[in-house]
Amino acid sequence: MNARSWGLGGTRRLPTVVLVARREIRMRLRSRVFVGGTIVMTALVVIGIVAASLLAGRTAPVRVGFSGGSQALQRTFTASAAALGANVTVSDITDVTAGEAQVTAGTLDVLVTGSETAPTAVAKAAIASNVESALSLAAEAARLADAGLSPAAVASAMALVPVQLLQPPNPKDTENLFASLALGILLWIALGQYGNMVAQGVVEEKATRIMEILLATIQPSRLLAGKVIGVGLVGLLQLTIVGAAALVAVHVTDVAAIPALGVASILGDISWFLLGFLFYATAYAAVASLVSRQEEVQSAVAPISIFQIAGYLLMYAALPDPSGPLATVCSLLPPFAPILMAVRMADTDVPFWQVGLAVALIVASIVGLTWLAGRIYSNAALRLGTRVRFMEAFRG
Amino acid sequence: MTGTSQRQLEIDGISKRYGQTVAVDTLTFEIRAGEVFGFVGRNGAGKTTTMRVVLGVLTPDAGAVRWLGVPLTYEARRHIGYMPEERGLYPKMRVAEQLTYLGELHGMTGAEARQASVHWVERFGLADRADAEVQALSLGNQQRIQLAAALVFGPDMLVLDEPFAGLDPVAVDVMSAVLREQADAGLPVIFSSHELELVERLCDRVGIIDHGTMLACGTVGELRAGGRERRWVAVPGAPGDWEAGVPGVRLIQTDGSRRLFELDPGVDDQALLQAALATGPVREFERVEPSLGELFRTVIGEAGA
Repeated sequence: MNARSWGLGGTRRLPTVVLVARREIRMRLRSRVFVGGTIVMTALVVIGIVAASLLAGRTAPVRVGFSGGSQALQRTFTASAAALGANVTVSDITDVTAGEAQVTAGTLDVLVTGSETAPTAVAKAAIASNVESALSLAAEAARLADAGLSPAAVASAMALVPVQLLQPPNPKDTENLFASLALGILLWIALGQYGNMVAQGVVEEKATRIMEILLATIQPSRLLAGKVIGVGLVGLLQLTIVGAAALVAVHVTDVAAIPALGVASILGDISWFLLGFLFYATAYAAVASLVSRQEEVQSAVAPISIFQIAGYLLMYAALPDPSGPLATVCSLLPPFAPILMAVRMADTDVPFWQVGLAVALIVASIVGLTWLAGRIYSNAALRLGTRVRFMEAFRG
Repeated sequence: MTGTSQRQLEIDGISKRYGQTVAVDTLTFEIRAGEVFGFVGRNGAGKTTTMRVVLGVLTPDAGAVRWLGVPLTYEARRHIGYMPEERGLYPKMRVAEQLTYLGELHGMTGAEARQASVHWVERFGLADRADAEVQALSLGNQQRIQLAAALVFGPDMLVLDEPFAGLDPVAVDVMSAVLREQADAGLPVIFSSHELELVERLCDRVGIIDHGTMLACGTVGELRAGGRERRWVAVPGAPGDWEAGVPGVRLIQTDGSRRLFELDPGVDDQALLQAALATGPVREFERVEPSLGELFRTVIGEAGA
């Protein structure tokens, strides 16, 4: 009946860390929580992207029909519209009544009637201001030409005032903001979810009392490492599934430019997820080992969760000014770096030294936390019943 | 392999205290290869602490545990079959899968572990539940799986904390047979229990522990020899205190004209017999072998006095 594969290495002795991680992965992948969670997360992300693309709206071209003498305006109108950033298509309308009917029916947005120098625009309810301006400019040019100006004189008379921007905005700014925010939220959810998964797993082993059998067989640090690695890989798989669905959705709806989410930035985000996960999972595992019942997990991890929530809130404070002092300083601090630095990197160009410093700080913190967590975990893992005090577990 | 004299697990002067409480106090005894050793004592006497020290789950404050003459290493401890007092298995893992996992954790290959897990599941009569989640099993069956978990990797020795607690009579028989068989295969087997009759029946040697010290240790026969002898004496029609003049004799119990006496160590029972004969015809003079339970109460009582 049980014909499923038991995995590779049937004839090899595997290191205990690998065995622990493999068990963790198998059990998680089999659980309804994982399967259901992945489906729900994927659905939410895809729905969010589709909704965003619908809200942003399609910048469909404004259809402008010209009838009679106004048809001569088409070329200058198209040029002016392009200069004013209006997306238009033009067509000839032979019958004014039929054109008005089209406007009423919504198959035509603007109908221009009248002569070249005195045109009239007909619209259903409103007309985009840049389309109206383009039309006015075209009519004005026609009047100037009519008054005897040469085409060159007309062109110079109609020239737009050049504008010089001292701080030109990144043309991808809004897209970046959208992508960064989505990335930040995704990272925040993922770090919280998988950190909690590790905490639950640690307490599960204490609550079900299997801890003693395990610790009679393998060293606490290896059990801890295997668990963190296993859950981390499961998390990475889930994120990859959700992320792939998100990329496909973005590509299909065209809501943001995919190149903005290039391979390098995806690798960067994965690295920040892994660093953040190692940081938080280790901390979660240590505090979770202090309690023996699932009901106590939430209160035990609360001191760590506060940092995560603070990081989430800081993201909103930092995004409007991703290179400001608040964003810069907080993105260097290990508890916030995984979210804030990832978001800043997606949103703007972060100086290399800042990224390097943030990575160095969080790696150092992870090393320290691993030592601390290993100590707490070893000392608290077999103390069942009442909650173990942190300092007690630290001293051993 | 070293000589048989070396094939023993030595607990050499281990001590462990928790804060002010002394759990184990310079405890010394040994468990020989091929014997079943029964570890008895009141709740909180130090049995679990001792077993945890043997397993390396606890670090003793002093003393050492040696196997084959050398201190137990981490690697050697991986070959001890252990059944902790606090039972524990992963509730959502399947029975065979769980045993396979534990086998691999103890250093078996995947194939070996699978084979061994099938063997032990069958041995405990749970072949039809091999693919059931552990949480779906009755408590008694979970206990069988717990013992299978201690055996699945072919241990070098067995350390079992209360393996019989909560078992039905059939399971007790299966468990007893398995322990005997493992000892006969050359393993040292130590288990703790409050079922003193069972301990007496099953164990080659017994250790009685109280307040962290070993009060008595040996075969049940040796414990009896060290303990006080008892005699039932029936002298109908004798006055109430006929034994008063015999030194080193204490009345334990009266049953009509029958009386149960306890003799201090070294006291000759013939003096008691002569005193009885002096009062009238002796209808009964019977040597009583104290049960382990009686020995236990005597030893604990003396230590407490």
